[in-house]
Amino acid sequence: MPMQQEGAAVVRGWGRCLLLQCRVAFHGMFVRRFSRLMQGLVLGLLGFLPPVSHAHDVLGNLNAVGSDTMAELMLRWGERLEQSHPGVRLQLQASGSASAPAALIAGTTLLGPMSRQMLPRERASFTERYGYPPTAITAGKDALLVVVNRHNPIESLSLRQLDAIFSDNRQCGGEEAIEQWQQLGQDEPPGRIHLYGRNRVSGTHAMFRRIALCGGYFRNKVNVFPGSAAVVSAVGSDPLGIGYAGLNHLTADVHVVAIGEPGQAVVPSRQTLRNNQYPMARHLLIYANLPPGGSLPPTEQAFLDLVLSPSGQEIVEELGFVTLSIPQLNLQRRQLGLPELGSKDDVR
Amino acid sequence: MPEPVPFSSLHRHRQRRDRLATALITAGGVGVLLAVLAIGIFLVTGVLPLFLSDNGPSLTALWQPQANVDGVVEYRWLPESLKGGGIPQVNLLPLVWGTLEAALWALVLAIPLALGAAAHSSLFMSPRLRHRIRPTLELMEAMPSVVLGFIAGLVLGPWVERHLAETFTVIAALPLGILLVAGLRRCLPGAIRHWLSLRWAALWLIPCLAGSVIVALWGASYWENLWFDGDLRAWIEIHLGLDVQARNALILGLAMGFAVMPGIYALAEDALSDVPKELCEGAQAMGATRWQTLTKVMLPVALPGIFSAVMIGAGRAVGETMIVLMASGNTALMSANPLDGLRSLASSIAIELPEAVMGSSHYRLLLLAALALFIFTFVVNTLAEVVRSRLRQRLVRQRSMR
Repeated sequence: MPMQQEGAAVVRGWGRCLLLQCRVAFHGMFVRRFSRLMQGLVLGLLGFLPPVSHAHDVLGNLNAVGSDTMAELMLRWGERLEQSHPGVRLQLQASGSASAPAALIAGTTLLGPMSRQMLPRERASFTERYGYPPTAITAGKDALLVVVNRHNPIESLSLRQLDAIFSDNRQCGGEEAIEQWQQLGQDEPPGRIHLYGRNRVSGTHAMFRRIALCGGYFRNKVNVFPGSAAVVSAVGSDPLGIGYAGLNHLTADVHVVAIGEPGQAVVPSRQTLRNNQYPMARHLLIYANLPPGGSLPPTEQAFLDLVLSPSGQEIVEELGFVTLSIPQLNLQRRQLGLPELGSKDDVR
Repeated sequence: MPEPVPFSSLHRHRQRRDRLATALITAGGVGVLLAVLAIGIFLVTGVLPLFLSDNGPSLTALWQPQANVDGVVEYRWLPESLKGGGIPQVNLLPLVWGTLEAALWALVLAIPLALGAAAHSSLFMSPRLRHRIRPTLELMEAMPSVVLGFIAGLVLGPWVERHLAETFTVIAALPLGILLVAGLRRCLPGAIRHWLSLRWAALWLIPCLAGSVIVALWGASYWENLWFDGDLRAWIEIHLGLDVQARNALILGLAMGFAVMPGIYALAEDALSDVPKELCEGAQAMGATRWQTLTKVMLPVALPGIFSAVMIGAGRAVGETMIVLMASGNTALMSANPLDGLRSLASSIAIELPEAVMGSSHYRLLLLAALALFIFTFVVNTLAEVVRSRLRQRLVRQRSMR
């Protein structure tokens, strides 16, 4: 019967196929085992050799998990490092500052960029896990800006007014909630204030809450966005909008509000940030998992060397953040066991 | 040339293969069931400690409004308050409300469009066109919801906010334009009417609709100036006291309606096409118009299928995350105003889970939100299935009685 024959052929064909697969799999396993053995041998032998030059070890993936505000900065530093050390590849996961401590504690990364200080709770669980506290490296300075639409004439806001605008429970002691632009003593724009802000993972959110809301709660009315750029673009297209974002997300559609009591309000600038006049300044931090007395792997070390060098600080400047002075840089470099910079490498 | 195999051996082979296939399928089915059950159990065991512990939010806090410093009594979702001391203000109602409101607006847009399209394409449309349009709509369903959310949040939202009058005019003008064209078509001489056949209406209506959109955009500023002092938005805010947000339930409904529509269309169209041909032909032979055939014969028969199509669309709208996340502004409000923002259960989970510490009461609250979603979709799907089988049984009984 032709049908039967066909069926038998199919069955036999499958059988043969299966056998072949098995053989291939066994073969693959054997070869892989063998090559791993060889690899181990070679590596073991290499271990006895004296370490070669430092630059040769700067290789492989460089992982970093953390702040969204610092994402572009990290990427640019990564690019610069890849130029000088072609074997390096930066893998950045920038979902918000709160993700950095989690990743550092879990051990998935050694570097966690954060746009706020670690909370005592986060620091404690790191110390509990490793037996030593994380090392904080300041890489630059940033400011939290309050932005409004460019057609909005408002010049300055006090912290108390900000609290009355954004907060539900007014911890800073404002008299009444501010819901209309008219309550701020101006005719334009007519209507309610539309609030824009970040989601709770972000360091920007946490910092605004700590400084401007005195630790209070945001109103339910705040439109929540998962990125600072989205906040700025939303405020840019909404004449009634007000929002907060980091320094480097500014666009031409929004204008920055000076912060402080009328007459003493401070506009965020390089000057006011460096001498700590602006009330909502913050440090851009990179937390590192650095054992006391030990050192980071060469790739991480090279990255931080770049960050704390004049060329790394140039990138900080280019992206609109504020750079550190040479003594400040040297302070950080000493922590990491890096050679100090001379005064001739001055950064503007 | 392979030698012939005795019949019995091949037979045994087949039997064995059959048995294997049956076992695999059964195992798969049981596995899926167990997985669903396991998800439910995981959620319940995750949520329970919330109610058993003393320092967590109490049950009443989850469902009752609370006052803030101004004495304004509101339903609040403030997960920050879980850590800050004081009475936690975490009320799930705004999230439930937001979820249902978003789904409602999506369905308000999707149901008439999808059912209308299904009726038209199964009864009137030329088969050639229909075979082109169906894959296109299926492609639309395959579009990632992130893309839709992105368009809705970044392009549509700001535009609608600035051109509120234009938006409302366009929404009103599209159906009116179609009615107008239909009226005009009746007055046309026979030759042109024959050329503009109903079977190809989907194509020649496009320029007509584009025309009505242009007229609407042009006319909107006219009546906005006439009645609303040139700014509808300010008028609504001042005279009606309503908030007009850039990310609002209406835009969300538009975007999510587009996401839900192809699914409803495909299922409803299947249901309508499954109506036995002889029924329609019989009705038309007795002198029924096509409209009568549709409403009196096809719809009653296809009702179970259409109902389940709508329910499955509702389930999708409730569970949708990315579109809501990007187009709604995520403001946990309880307002019936369609121009206000909202926050759904699903998008709350997506936003807040990354920073909720495992085992904290915030984490458990989010699990509770997930449980609520799970129960809701479960109930909706079960309801769809039950109603569908009931309707089908009734139909069969009716038919056998005749």
